[in-house]
Amino acid sequence: MNIIVCIKQVPDVKEVSWDPKTGSLIRKGIPSIINPNDKNAIEAALQLRERHGGEVTVLSMGPSQVEDALREALGMGVDKAIQLTSKEFAGSDTWATSYALGLAVRKIAQYDLIICGKEAIDGMTAQVGPQLAECLNIPQLTYALEIEVTNSKVKIKQKLGDFHRLLEAPMPALITVEREANKPRVAPMDTILEAYGKEITLWDADDLDGEDENFGLKGSPTKLTRVYTPKLIKGKVEMLEGGPEEAARKCVEKIRARYII
Amino acid sequence: MDFTLSPESKMMVKAASDFCEKEILPIADSIIENNDYPEDLLVKFAKVRMLGLAVPKEYGGVGTTNLNIILIAEELGKTGTVCAWPMLMNNSTAETIYRWGSEAVREKFLPPLCDGSAYASTAFTEPATGSDPTAITTTAVPDGDDFIVNGAKRYITGGNKKGYGVFYVKDGELKDQKANVTALIVDKSSEGYTTSAPWEFMGLEGMNCVDVFFKDVRVPKSNVLGERGNGFRILLHWIAVERIEQAGYMVGLGQAALDQAVKYTKERLVRGKPMAFMQGIQWMLGDMKSRVDACRYLTYRAACIHDEEGPFDVVSSELKIFVVPTIQEVTRMALQIHGAYGYSKEYKIEGLFRIAAHAGIVASSTELNKTIAGSALVR
Repeated sequence: MNIIVCIKQVPDVKEVSWDPKTGSLIRKGIPSIINPNDKNAIEAALQLRERHGGEVTVLSMGPSQVEDALREALGMGVDKAIQLTSKEFAGSDTWATSYALGLAVRKIAQYDLIICGKEAIDGMTAQVGPQLAECLNIPQLTYALEIEVTNSKVKIKQKLGDFHRLLEAPMPALITVEREANKPRVAPMDTILEAYGKEITLWDADDLDGEDENFGLKGSPTKLTRVYTPKLIKGKVEMLEGGPEEAARKCVEKIRARYII
Repeated sequence: MDFTLSPESKMMVKAASDFCEKEILPIADSIIENNDYPEDLLVKFAKVRMLGLAVPKEYGGVGTTNLNIILIAEELGKTGTVCAWPMLMNNSTAETIYRWGSEAVREKFLPPLCDGSAYASTAFTEPATGSDPTAITTTAVPDGDDFIVNGAKRYITGGNKKGYGVFYVKDGELKDQKANVTALIVDKSSEGYTTSAPWEFMGLEGMNCVDVFFKDVRVPKSNVLGERGNGFRILLHWIAVERIEQAGYMVGLGQAALDQAVKYTKERLVRGKPMAFMQGIQWMLGDMKSRVDACRYLTYRAACIHDEEGPFDVVSSELKIFVVPTIQEVTRMALQIHGAYGYSKEYKIEGLFRIAAHAGIVASSTELNKTIAGSALVR
């Protein structure tokens, strides 16, 4: 079984701060990491490979430093890595990203599953996975907690708020995984050494055979108009007297009085 | 001279750090409470291939550099736990077996030391001797294809854990010769092999240091490591490796103490301002940082000399002389910055301070190493 895992390199948000004057992210000196949720996608793929055999290919679009993320994925044990790097891809929104990834997947051709993280910690749109499935016209199974493959079909347990749903689809299919789906493995020391002996395949816009106007900023319908930190509204603290039930009742009354519920 | 770590080394450091966060820190308190680590700890190290790091792949190892081992030891040192020692003991013992062992010995003993199925030990010290080979009383008397071993060893790390140990014994057939110490690889589940309860050491809860007793223990002659009578030379090699590993661990410990101190000074307010803004505190932090960095690069240098197959016995002694007291002082300064809180078990620095105390004594004393380094200058 051949699996493609799409990953994104993101700034380590634990280290990120905002410039209050410009409202923009201060990225200088911030280390980049594999989007944590994408590590769950890699782990899910590696576990499926251990059960069913085959190959895991990791795919990422971004500037040259994306190589670090791909090497880390190779260190975790994936078999191959493909990097989409081209100035034409700069400024891509989720749609343009899905378009380029879709072309790359078509070029890879031989695959049974695509696995993505549910969402990236920088954008938090959760759009790329589903859009990629639409782009390729394959079934999408989102928010997976568990994945099982039997007889050319894939089944997942989907997390849907407080509910779980069991979904099934023929392969090839695309799955997005939740953070709780697994605990990503620590890269073994020998695999790390091997990771640096492997070649990373580089594809640019010309290699993907797509329409120029669909790449990057030109192909992105989303236009970012402003980034800002919402102003905090300072209120008065009021302590409610009484036992837990009585205090809760008073609290609900006050919220109702303000038409919040 | 290049002080930049390779991308592979950086990724190994990150992986070791991830491993510590995932597997070591969650069990840190229970190790102290139980005076023991979980039995599967070694298997966990094996799963991320942290065993047999210097052993070539054909024997089940990883085949990486000694510098990378030290970088991993540093990350383990940051946890302030004894978990580094089973891992480092397996690595240094396996490296020594690879270096000195015959092909048959390598094939028999290296795979279980690399796959986590055997805890390693190295045993020289006895109740009446710490570093004098002439004072060894544990004997190995030839009997057919075996030796019969009798005697006792003291402070043997992991001596009570199943696996193999390299035991240095007085060879019964060589007793009239000057070089009469033989290194024997002993199965720790052999009949007649017994151990005491673990010693209770300051800061080393869970270290599993025990006394080992041999009563007519049969050890195959094929388990001899290297040449008979060459044991002391093998021991000197192993202990030099161990000293560098210990220094790597101490650098990590010092870095953790510094990190704790920085965190505390940023959080603790004095007259409405964080302590970190006080010049006196900044001087202390700057002093600690420079000391940790000096220890780090001295240790890396020793590991690189080991990798280059240069003589590293004296440079490893320099680590005991400089790194050990320097890091001990760094942990003391970090404790001092914490004030009374630092003296409380509620704070990590208390444990770091206590565990640092072992390093001037374990794996040869600082004073002995001063003799080694000093005598080399006037020889």
